[in-house]
Amino acid sequence: MVLELESMQKTFGGAVALRRGSLAVRAGEVHLLLGENGAGKSTLMKIAAGMLRPDAGTLRWRGAAARFLNPAEAQRAGVAMVHQESLLAPHLSVAQNIFLGREISGRFGLLDRRREQAEARRLIEEHRFPLRPEWKVERLSPAGRQLVEILRAIAQQAALLIFDEPTSALSDAETKEVFRVIAGLRERGAAVIYITHRMEELRALGDRATVLRDGETVFTGAMAETGTDELIRHMAGRPLDSVYRREPLPPGRERLRVELPGVEFSLHSGEITGLAGLVGAGRTELCRAIFGIEPLRRGRLLVDGEERRIRSPRDAVAAGIALIPEDRQRHGLAPALPVGHNVTLAALGRLSRCGVLNQRAERALFEEQAARLRLKAESPRQPAARLSGGNQQKAVIAKWMARGAGIYLFDEPARGIDIGAKIEVFERMDELARGGAAILMASSELPELLQVADRILVLRQGRLAAELPRHATQEEILRHAALEPAS
Amino acid sequence: MMKRLLPFLTLALLFAALAVATPHFLTAPNLSSVVRQTAVINIMALGMTLIIVAGGIDLSVGSMLALSGFLGSMAMDRGWPIAAGVAVGLAAGLACGTANGIMTAKLRLNPFIVTLGTLGIYRGLALVISGGLPVQQLPKSFAFLGEGSLLGVPFVLWVLAACAALVHFLLEHTRFGRYAFAIGSNPEAALYAGIPVAFHTTAVFAVGGLLTGLAAMVECSRLMTGQPTAGQGYELQAIAAVVIGGGSLRGGEGSVTGTLIGAFIMGLLANGSDLLGISPYVQQAVIGAVIILAVLVDELRKRPARIR
Repeated sequence: MVLELESMQKTFGGAVALRRGSLAVRAGEVHLLLGENGAGKSTLMKIAAGMLRPDAGTLRWRGAAARFLNPAEAQRAGVAMVHQESLLAPHLSVAQNIFLGREISGRFGLLDRRREQAEARRLIEEHRFPLRPEWKVERLSPAGRQLVEILRAIAQQAALLIFDEPTSALSDAETKEVFRVIAGLRERGAAVIYITHRMEELRALGDRATVLRDGETVFTGAMAETGTDELIRHMAGRPLDSVYRREPLPPGRERLRVELPGVEFSLHSGEITGLAGLVGAGRTELCRAIFGIEPLRRGRLLVDGEERRIRSPRDAVAAGIALIPEDRQRHGLAPALPVGHNVTLAALGRLSRCGVLNQRAERALFEEQAARLRLKAESPRQPAARLSGGNQQKAVIAKWMARGAGIYLFDEPARGIDIGAKIEVFERMDELARGGAAILMASSELPELLQVADRILVLRQGRLAAELPRHATQEEILRHAALEPAS
Repeated sequence: MMKRLLPFLTLALLFAALAVATPHFLTAPNLSSVVRQTAVINIMALGMTLIIVAGGIDLSVGSMLALSGFLGSMAMDRGWPIAAGVAVGLAAGLACGTANGIMTAKLRLNPFIVTLGTLGIYRGLALVISGGLPVQQLPKSFAFLGEGSLLGVPFVLWVLAACAALVHFLLEHTRFGRYAFAIGSNPEAALYAGIPVAFHTTAVFAVGGLLTGLAAMVECSRLMTGQPTAGQGYELQAIAAVVIGGGSLRGGEGSVTGTLIGAFIMGLLANGSDLLGISPYVQQAVIGAVIILAVLVDELRKRPARIR
């Protein structure tokens, strides 16, 4: 065993994050760490990487009891972690970030920039990542940053690498590359712990798996002997329909008509329209354009048959359009503000007279929406940042349901949230559609789109490549998304 | 809870300690002089609270105070009635604040840089218009604003209480205040929620300017002059009051009660050291240390929650 964690415990303030977290990983294996959001996966891994000190529990490193008091100690021992949220220095270059904390120095202890650059270039080329050593990290996309994090971990030549949902921002091609890198690490005899939410990744990658639930390890076993349904049951603690399937409605009248160069389509009342495409195909950009964040230069938008000039989110909201953004931390929530204030933020016009808020009505509106979405918060005053990912997403959705809109744009509605919350989100989308709203759902997860959407628009390089019915297959979608259509 | 309580306890403790340490502290003339002394900073700090809650900062309020005060007194010196003079001062503050807001919100410049610039510009304007000379000929009854009493209480305390109540109401009970918190906490999320972010940012700076204009007229009334060199360093005291009271320079946090307590803590420290014969040089260092301590306590309180 490279690393053994036994009965780890960690409490933050009053909240128990880990009750009895255990995990043992061998050299030369990829060990999956599974669990719903808030199950304690990240906390357990932060203990392994020296970023948190456990309240109780034992850690053994190569068979000997050890303590990592800070990240530097863990790194010296041979632990490297790829973080879910980017922990890079944005103003420094790719090369400088790869070697951050372990700078290559030459004579007189001065930094040897040239060797760092060369070394970084070698690493990038070896793994064929679309990066350059001199690029500034702040100009990289989330996917690019994730790749830099991965290179940084590899460059440490660690005995144990921990990946915390590394592919959630990556395209399929990049994901494959990451899988290849991980397989290579395993062959070299490194131990890998891999945290994921994606079911498809399990089979492709894992040798063994450990499942955490409510801060406790509830299962460890070999992947070859464990079914996906069994894993889901362990994660949820209850049997769950692993497949959600929406009952479609006959589409109603047209709510939104989009006429852009290369992209023309309509959204109808009662209908959930899927939007597929590879990373960079323009899914998010299209949503942002409709919502007025990057206003259109050409083309037009018709809401309920009438042309509307949408030059800002404010115009969009006035036209009855709501956006549930891809990056909910950055664009969806005011993290320090109470969850109650976040939920009512877009509806304050209705809750105030001459600018003065009716706080009783506000509280009532929050309670109503929280119940409707099964949003779990300690109190309306709890800061949004302290909610789990699933509840944060519910808060963003509640914000728009509280205001009420005719057209909802969901950009990656289920990204990074656990299965239970995911299904609840889909149910709310269904409820909105049944209430007469038109819904656009952009997603990089094809199985999700096929479960929820009534029809699927496929974007390729910013253009509409195909419109497919709900019984289309993943292969069909991919073919239209990636290639010229088969002749 | 601790957060709201701690500054208050500090203030109460300081008050009690001074009452025990010197018999001159707990006297009506001394207490009313503390109120009068801190009123100017206090009124400015209320505006600064709004600005800081919305994620901004205004370094120009000291210069703004000099410019608005000078323009207001000049109007009175030219024979305008007192009300008109005060209106000129308020309007000048409002204009200066609005200018700061427009540059920050519409031109999307960093408020620190914008107001560092206008700190120089407003001071320069005051000096150019005045030729460097103060206005001395103010109507006698104008002194009532800064030095008069109503029902046995310094008139400025009424003014301060009214302003505090108003800003508190704005922050906690209106859409305007809620938007200020949202913009300060995450301007992008506020934009995505359909909030007119630029308008509200400008408005917050404008209200801050208006309050600074009022503080300027109080200052003129207390000194019975319009000084183009008035208010130097006041911006730092106003910011310090907000921060001691729990405001965060990262935006999204701050309260009127906190700011009032912060300003009074600084006022008591100054007054107490005067009474105890501590040199004003030491005073400055003590106030500086208190600022750091207040922020440290606040940070420590938040820290465990942020890891995870």
